[in-house]
Amino acid sequence: MASSLAGSALSFATPVKAVKTNSISFTSARKGNAFLRLQPVPMRFAVCCAAKKETVEKVCDIVKKQLAVPEGTEVSGASKFSDLGADSLDTVEIVMGLEEEFHISVEESSAQSIATVEDAAALIDKLVEQKSAEAKSS
Amino acid sequence: MAFTMRAVKVPPNSASLEEARHRVFDFFRQACRAIPSIMEIYNLDDVVTPSQLRSTIAKEIRKNQGVTNPKVIDMLLFKGMEELGNITEHAKQRHHVIGQYVVGQKGLVQDMEKDQGSSDFLKKFYTSNYS
Repeated sequence: MASSLAGSALSFATPVKAVKTNSISFTSARKGNAFLRLQPVPMRFAVCCAAKKETVEKVCDIVKKQLAVPEGTEVSGASKFSDLGADSLDTVEIVMGLEEEFHISVEESSAQSIATVEDAAALIDKLVEQKSAEAKSS
Repeated sequence: MAFTMRAVKVPPNSASLEEARHRVFDFFRQACRAIPSIMEIYNLDDVVTPSQLRSTIAKEIRKNQGVTNPKVIDMLLFKGMEELGNITEHAKQRHHVIGQYVVGQKGLVQDMEKDQGSSDFLKKFYTSNYS
């Protein structure tokens, strides 16, 4: 009698646990799917839009401070460093300043191709994106 | 040991002016990347900013803007590398760094332009007359 009662109790307990685990896995799967679906899209758009304007403005400020540009001169995305009175050493100095500001490391081959503010901003966006991608993967 | 090891490594001479110019930019980049550690070693956060140090280094390099002989440029680069190595290996004291690269531009260091055409007599005359 006692042994048969214990056996029936055990047989009742296991299906209840199985049902619970199944329901938990379903809910977690749903949450995971929702998270994966919703997360990247708004972040991408927001980061892209904000970074470009912000980056160009920051680069313009750094260039103005570095070259001591007179007050009336306008520095925009299309401005060339050579037109603002920068020689090759000034250009390298600007690139080093941008490295410090954005915490990136610009390779020598990339640095040589920079001639305008737009080029610098595009390169910075690319490097910052690479850095964030590496941070996510690691 | 580090000093003797460093003294052995001398780069070969530049084959052309363009190569020497390239090496100058490499040296400038290397010096700029060393600025944060230099500021940490000598505790310069309250007397100078990295941007000002970078400008000082650029100014020092620009003093020799008119040199066109690759051999002279190589010699100047060697001296620059030696100076940078001395600073990063803590062979200088804090007041040396401050006196040469922070307040030197305000009259402490003689800032006479390098005049290639003057005779030795005139150079000594200007030097002794400096106040």
